[in-house]
Amino acid sequence: MEHVSAVLLGVPYTLLVTVVALAIGAVLGLPLALARRSPLAVLNVPARVVIDVLRGIPPVVWLFIIFFGIGNQFVTLDPIQAGSLGLGLISAAYLAEIYRSGLGAVHSGQWEASSALGLSRTDSMVRVVGPQAFRVALPAASTYAIGLLKDSSVVSAIGVADIVFQATGDSRATGAALAPFLVAAAIYILLGTPLAIASRRMDSRLRMRVAR
Amino acid sequence: MEIVRDPQTRTGSDAVDVRASAQPTDRLEVSRKGPPVVSLKGLSKHYGENVVLDKVDLDVSAGEVVAMVGPSGAGKSTLLRCINLLEVPDAGTVTVGDQCVDAGKEVSAKDAMRLRRTAGMVFQSFNLFPHLTVLRNVSLAQERVLGRSRAEADARSMELLERVHLAHKADTYPARSSGGQQQRIAIARALAMDPQVMLFDEPTSALDPEVGLEVLAVMRELAESGMTMIVVTHEIPFARDVSDRVVVMADGGIIEQGEPHQVINNPQHERSQRFLRAVTER
Ligand SMILES: Nc1ncnc2c1ncn2[C@@H]1O[C@H](COP(=O)(O)OP(=O)(O)O)[C@@H](O)[C@H]1O
Ligand SMILES: [Mg+2]
Repeated sequence: MEHVSAVLLGVPYTLLVTVVALAIGAVLGLPLALARRSPLAVLNVPARVVIDVLRGIPPVVWLFIIFFGIGNQFVTLDPIQAGSLGLGLISAAYLAEIYRSGLGAVHSGQWEASSALGLSRTDSMVRVVGPQAFRVALPAASTYAIGLLKDSSVVSAIGVADIVFQATGDSRATGAALAPFLVAAAIYILLGTPLAIASRRMDSRLRMRVAR
Repeated sequence: MEIVRDPQTRTGSDAVDVRASAQPTDRLEVSRKGPPVVSLKGLSKHYGENVVLDKVDLDVSAGEVVAMVGPSGAGKSTLLRCINLLEVPDAGTVTVGDQCVDAGKEVSAKDAMRLRRTAGMVFQSFNLFPHLTVLRNVSLAQERVLGRSRAEADARSMELLERVHLAHKADTYPARSSGGQQQRIAIARALAMDPQVMLFDEPTSALDPEVGLEVLAVMRELAESGMTMIVVTHEIPFARDVSDRVVVMADGGIIEQGEPHQVINNPQHERSQRFLRAVTER
C-alpha cells in the first residue's frame, strides 16, 4: 500500500505535462497543417521537413536536446518546462498530420459550395470545412491524446517527477522490483479509461448530429 | 417577391398554366427584351493539352431561361464554373450583372467574390453543409457575405424555405432530408444571396426520376417568377417546356442553339441530332 501513495505523487506531473503538451500541439499543429496543405512550395516544403524531423527523432533524444542543450545555454528551462515543450512540439507534428487528413476527408464540394456563395477562404475554413474536419479528426486526435498520457513517461528521463519517476524511485528505495510498476500500470489504466470513454461518447454524439 | 423583374410577362403562382399554353415565339420575344445579365466573350479554358472551352460566346438576357444540353465531357460544367469563377478562364471575358472579369488580367479575390454572389450555383451533388441545420445552411452566407443580422437572415431564409415548401425542415440537419429536399434547400440557399442569375449543373442527375420532378417543379416556379437561369440538364421535357432557348454544347463549343421545340425536334447539326436522339429515345 505504501507503494500506492508513493507512485500517486507522480499523477499531477504526468497530467500536467500531458495537458500542456497537448495544448501546445493542438495550437501549433494547426498552422503546420495549413502550411503542409498549401500549394505554395515555400510553405509546404518547410512544413513537411519540420514534421518529419519532429517525428523522426525519438522523444527522449528531443528531451535531452531541449533540456541539456537549449535549456542550459540560451534560456533556463526546468525539467517540467523542457518536457512539456519537447512533447508539445512532437505533438504538433502528429496533430498536424491528423488535422491534415481531417481536412482532406472533407469533400471538395464543400469548398466549392462555400466559394459559390461568396464566402471568403477564411470563412469557408472556419465556418464550413474546419468544423467538419474536426469531427473527422476527433477519433484520431483522442487516440493520440491517450497515447501521449502513457508516452509522457519519457519525461522521467530528464527528472520530471511523474508516475514512472516515482515508481522508479520507490523501487530503488524499497527494493521492491515489481510492485511499484504494477501500481504505475494500474494508475495509467485508471487515468486512460475515462478519457477513452469520453472521446467515444463525444464522437458518437457528433456523428449522430450530422450523420450523412 | 423581390426577384420578380418582369411582372407584366411573368405573373405569380397561376403562371404555370399561362406558360403551358403560351406560344414559344411569344416567350422568345419577351426574353430578348432584357439587357444581358450574363455575357461571355471568347471564353476559353484548357487543362494541359485538353481544350475544354474554345472561344465560347454566350449572352443571356434578364429573365431568360437557357437550357444547356450536350454529351458528357462537352465542357458544360466548366462553362458554368467559369461564369462564377470557380474556374478561372484562360482567355475571354465574363460579365455578370455589372461585374466584368477579363481573363487576361489578374482577378482580385474581392472581385471574384463579388461576381460569385451575383451568380447562384446549384450543384448536382447538392453540397449542403452537413454540420449546420437547414436554416443555418441558408442563413450563413447572408450574414457573412451580405452582412445581414442573424434575425434578418433567418427571416429571409424562412421565406425562401417556404417557397421551396420545406419550412418545416428548418431546424433539422440536412441528412434528415431526402435528396430532392436537399436539392430544394440548396436552391433556397443560393437564392438567399439575391443572385441576378441562377446556374444549375445537372440538378436532378443524382436523383430518382420521381424525386427529380419535385426539384424541377421548384425550378419551373423560379422561372415563372422571372429569374434568369442557365440550366445544364438532360431533362428534355424541362428544356422544351420551361426554357426560352436550348443551347447544345459539344467538344468545348456551342454547336447549335435556338427556340426549344426547334432545336429538340429538328436539330440541324449532326452531333446534336445524335445526342438528342440518344436522350429523347430512351
Ligand atoms: N479540374 C480538371 N482538371 C482536368 N480536366 C478537367 C477538369 N475538369 C474538367 N476536366 C475535363 O474537361 C472536360 C469537360 O468537362 P466538363 O466541363 O465537366 O464537361 P461536362 O460537364 O459537359 O460533362 C472533360 O474532358 C474533363 O475531363
Ligand atoms: Mg458536367
